[in-house]
Amino acid sequence: MSQIPIPEDQHFRPRLIGYDPARSRPWLERTVYSAYVFVFWAIVVGTYAGVPALFEALGWDVGWGFVLMRAVQVVLLFLLSAVIALLLILVLRKYLGKVQERYGPMHYGPAGGIQTIFDALKLLAKEDFVPAAADVLTFRLAPAITFVASFAMFAVIPFATGWVLADTNVALIYLIAVSTLSAYGVLLGGVSSGNKWALIGALRAGAQMVSYEIPMALVFLTVAVWTGSLSLGGIVDAQMGLWNVIPLALPFVLYVIASLAELKHIPFDFPEAESELIAGYNVEYSGMSFAFFFLAEFVELFLLPALIVILFFGGWHGLLFGLEPGSLAAGALESLYFTLKTAVWVWIFLWIRATLPRYRDDQLMEFAWKAMIPLALFGLVLAAYLRLIWR
Amino acid sequence: MSTMSLEPMPGRTDEMIVNMGPQHPATHGVLRVVLGLEGERITRAVPHIGYLHRNHEKIEEARTYPMVIAYTDRMDYVSGTQNELPFVLAVEDMLGIEVPDRAKKIRTMFFELYRLASHLVWMGTAMLDLGAISPFLYTFWDREIILGIVEKTAGARMLPNYYTFGGVRRDVHPDFFKDVAAFLDHMERRMVDYEHLVLESPVVHARTKGVGVLSRERAIARGVSGPVLRASGVAYDVRKAFPYDAYPDVEFEIPTSPDGDTYARFWVRFQEMYQSIRILRQLVEITPKTGPHKGKAPARIKPPAGERYRAVENSRGELGVLVVSDGSDKPYRVKHRGAAFSNLQIVPDLFVGAKFSDAIAILASLDPVFGEIDR
Repeated sequence: MSQIPIPEDQHFRPRLIGYDPARSRPWLERTVYSAYVFVFWAIVVGTYAGVPALFEALGWDVGWGFVLMRAVQVVLLFLLSAVIALLLILVLRKYLGKVQERYGPMHYGPAGGIQTIFDALKLLAKEDFVPAAADVLTFRLAPAITFVASFAMFAVIPFATGWVLADTNVALIYLIAVSTLSAYGVLLGGVSSGNKWALIGALRAGAQMVSYEIPMALVFLTVAVWTGSLSLGGIVDAQMGLWNVIPLALPFVLYVIASLAELKHIPFDFPEAESELIAGYNVEYSGMSFAFFFLAEFVELFLLPALIVILFFGGWHGLLFGLEPGSLAAGALESLYFTLKTAVWVWIFLWIRATLPRYRDDQLMEFAWKAMIPLALFGLVLAAYLRLIWR
Repeated sequence: MSTMSLEPMPGRTDEMIVNMGPQHPATHGVLRVVLGLEGERITRAVPHIGYLHRNHEKIEEARTYPMVIAYTDRMDYVSGTQNELPFVLAVEDMLGIEVPDRAKKIRTMFFELYRLASHLVWMGTAMLDLGAISPFLYTFWDREIILGIVEKTAGARMLPNYYTFGGVRRDVHPDFFKDVAAFLDHMERRMVDYEHLVLESPVVHARTKGVGVLSRERAIARGVSGPVLRASGVAYDVRKAFPYDAYPDVEFEIPTSPDGDTYARFWVRFQEMYQSIRILRQLVEITPKTGPHKGKAPARIKPPAGERYRAVENSRGELGVLVVSDGSDKPYRVKHRGAAFSNLQIVPDLFVGAKFSDAIAILASLDPVFGEIDR
């Protein structure tokens, strides 16, 4: 076994090793993804200012015309929720890529900008498979329940002064009711799949729901006590002088934790936990049934940060540069502030997702029942007391 | 026994029998564990192996001695040359081949580089099992550098087939020592980040402390070795107990922990990575830059009739091989003693009574590699 001398240049064929951020063209990325925020904002302005203005010009803003206007707005909101889902999936993939020293989507559209269109088309083209062991009706119904429940939360979310579908005075109670309903979809979907992993995922979802919903409801109550209103518009108006995050710092922290649990987001993603339950409750779903679970998850990934902004960060409040509140220009500017504040919170949630491992499911329950509920009650009493002596 | 090998208990409806694996993402390949679950608590656990069985030992009986080395690589495929060493040492002993000092040091450097690579893979996959996706990508970049260094010299990345009787197959690349020194600088910076991400993370503490406790007595009785044994407080390391190659020339410590839980196993592997960096730093200094890389070995390897057992401390524990020779140019029998195989024996002990999520963390802390377990 004599050694064959190998010339040095043939000895090693250098390959491209390592991550070079410059190759992903960061300025193009920033431009494209900022432009997407404005697309989102434009749809919001169109829905809440454009459509009413159009109907008013046509003289259809009373009676059945009003119903038609609301219907058009709901359709536009459905479009908005689809845009949110497509956008957030793309942002999630791109952001995880950045955190993990890789590029993320790069090839379809500028800086990978239309990658999710293809993701959605793939899901549309896939067979919608129903396992033989599944309970077909429940199995089919579950994604619809989850999506509709998430989508229904849009009804009370104000994007600017008066820019809301239903400025009801029970908005917070409505939110509690509707967000609980979305957990039912997960529960039913997992139980009806006829799969043991899905069953465990569904049971975990149920256990998780009863743990985080109570502190969440207590935090809503605290905000209502402090601001004196159950309407989201009223809550935002009450924060004119001081954002709630300062007097209600403790409920704010509890609400962020409960939101992570409601989102089934790392560190509380027990119902899906891909390294434990493979995909958990949605393991048997494919095609558009799966896409609706996915859509609901990403709509919530927008709505829960939006609620953080509404409840604790002054909603749409920001510098108006002398514009009169209630005018179209002021509304457009306010909704832009709201969008940007929400985007910051979405980013924080994604950051948490990229960094942390997962807790164990019983640890969340223990934490929720032994720490979060007492602290939420303490926060409630403190807020009531502060309100008595302060205001 | 049925194929499930776990029958439902008569009269009990509260126990669910689930099949974890062989396609489960957290089983590090193809382990199948049939679990009895009572809610989230595991009542029974029966592991099944053999889905990656490739008949290594029998194939090796039909190959000549130099050909066997290439097969040993395929056992523990994340730690490359570490698998070749016990067989090479055993045959060298039987033939009385002298290994030059420089060749020993080069072998040890590759051995420790692969220990770092293997522990990096462990760290990434263990964190993936705990739900953190990012460390997996970080550790794989670092491993990529190690594999690049190995490729420059040995020509292959994961299965280099580099050791041979009497030394190594070819001299190291001229850049080798420079590359290793640069990598160690990089690795020391990265270890700070890994400490933050893994060892100091409160979520990791919550998931691993007090979980899957393996007592010292049980660890010895079950024959586990390597980091799993040292995390139970037994300071047994083949590198110190039966030194081979250049280990007598370098200073290092055996990190042990008295706790025996999953966190202790994480911690011990982390400390081993620091020790590997320390060993490599010393070897970069003391290894002669030029000199023989291979001693005199006969052209036809025909060990005299007899048998020899040699063991090394690979990334998972004691990797041994028993070579039986009948005087021909093919081994009569080759028996591998796999560390991951022995470590997997404690799975039923640790799983029963644990929560299902704990089982995932426990399995991650054992760091099984199924190429070596199934062979």
